[in-house]
Amino acid sequence: MKNIILPTPNEETEFFWEGCKHHKLLFQKCNDCGFVRWPVNILCPECLSFNYSIIESKGRGFIFTYAIYHYAYHESFKEKLPYNVAIIKLNEGPMLLSNIIDCNNDELTCESPVEVVFEDIDDEVSLPKFKIIKKIKF
Amino acid sequence: MIKNPLRGCSAIAGIGYTEQGKIANRTALSFHTEACANAIKDAGIKKDDIDGLFIYRHFNTRSNEPDITPYLVAQQLGIKPDYLSEEANCARSHLYNAVSLLYSGLCKYILISYADNALLSKRTFVDEATHGEPFGDVAAFGQFGLVSAYAMAARRAMFENGTGPNVWKHIAMSTRAWANLNPRAIMHRKVMSEDDYFNSKYIVEPLRLFDCALINDGGRACVITTTERAKDLKNSPAVILGIGQSNPSYDIHQSFYMTKNSGAKRASELAMHMAKVTHKDIDALQIYDCFTYTVDLTLSDYGFYDYGHGEEFFNDKKTYPGGRLPMNTSGGLLSEAYFMGLTQLTEGAIQLMGRAEERQLGVLNGTKKPNIVLCSDNGAALQTHNCTILGSIDTL
Repeated sequence: MKNIILPTPNEETEFFWEGCKHHKLLFQKCNDCGFVRWPVNILCPECLSFNYSIIESKGRGFIFTYAIYHYAYHESFKEKLPYNVAIIKLNEGPMLLSNIIDCNNDELTCESPVEVVFEDIDDEVSLPKFKIIKKIKF
Repeated sequence: MIKNPLRGCSAIAGIGYTEQGKIANRTALSFHTEACANAIKDAGIKKDDIDGLFIYRHFNTRSNEPDITPYLVAQQLGIKPDYLSEEANCARSHLYNAVSLLYSGLCKYILISYADNALLSKRTFVDEATHGEPFGDVAAFGQFGLVSAYAMAARRAMFENGTGPNVWKHIAMSTRAWANLNPRAIMHRKVMSEDDYFNSKYIVEPLRLFDCALINDGGRACVITTTERAKDLKNSPAVILGIGQSNPSYDIHQSFYMTKNSGAKRASELAMHMAKVTHKDIDALQIYDCFTYTVDLTLSDYGFYDYGHGEEFFNDKKTYPGGRLPMNTSGGLLSEAYFMGLTQLTEGAIQLMGRAEERQLGVLNGTKKPNIVLCSDNGAALQTHNCTILGSIDTL
């Protein structure tokens, strides 16, 4: 794959991407009001408290919305067309932008339940992607 | 009730157009200066009268062009304004600034300008400045720019309230029908049928090519002054009766207002309150149409129809030429040209001035002379919104 785009962690976001590398989805949770936040923030946007802990998300939620690219704005995505980008609403609260994998784009619907799957790009970088949780048949 | 002193205190007195479309040999800066000079000339004032200059945010210029700054535009016009501003991230603050400065007396004649040479620069609107994250953190998932942001909003609205291409086609087609009456419009000679709309290719599904604003070269500017001063100038002024602005600000992937209660709702309530008008007083709409879905959401947030009920609203063709609620009479951003909110604002003004030629409301069959025109402006991924209500001098 040519000229692939990778996340660019900084001092404040490094914990999130380091977590992904170890297949954990980590977020900041406010110690005062309990709000779980994303994107990374020095304070809680609900109560402005600076006190927080890092929690691990169970990685489950649902597709809030999605879009399907039929045009590549970057060469590394040309061979993936048509590909989806989705906003996932996690059960802990945060909304995360990602892709739904292992499904055809015409199977996508808002509100479908999903769970995280880590895609290892190389030894250092993993991206949190999501797959639709199929209904269990008895 | 005490009259809001800002109601009607300012007016649009002049409009500057340039060549627009695909133009092979011009810098973005040259379109700014031409549009500004034409607006000054159209207002019938001297360039040294300009004491305020605002420019819209700009996209990155080519490496062999100067970066656009208000200093540079002022230099090229040979003026030394008391007040300069350029907003950086699409916030639609220009009219709040202009009306406040004129009312306070800090400025007397204000120029607002937008220009670009997007086609010459081969811009695809990738280099947006609205996301909070470092570029790679969303681009690693293939997320680039605003078409997708609006596509995700549109998809959620399809799910929540049943809107979709059967509504958006009317927005694209009625806007195109108006462009067919405007020789300046880039799509002037291109008729759009329903088949044309549905056959236009997806860019980011559910948005097709014909759901998206044009990308073009050119510029647009206007002169705003106090209504008292405007009365003595050559054009019949387009009076600013009401303004409202609201900035919900959140990135699209954190947005809780992508399907209802966007900034459009609060902005229109503020503007209508200041203007002392209700929906039935509005003779024409100039709605910011970066995407068809933006118009759909804006009209529902403004209260013209309930969310998801666009088909009933558009089916009687009221927004088409000859309809009873004309909308985007220049052809809008979809079919005239993309000059951010100045496409809408200048068209609202030119209609009230009675200078819209073949598409002039009140002259065109089935239409009436407008007294009140509502204009909207929207920026980033629904993160900022301005609503402006313009009136003829008779509405004061």
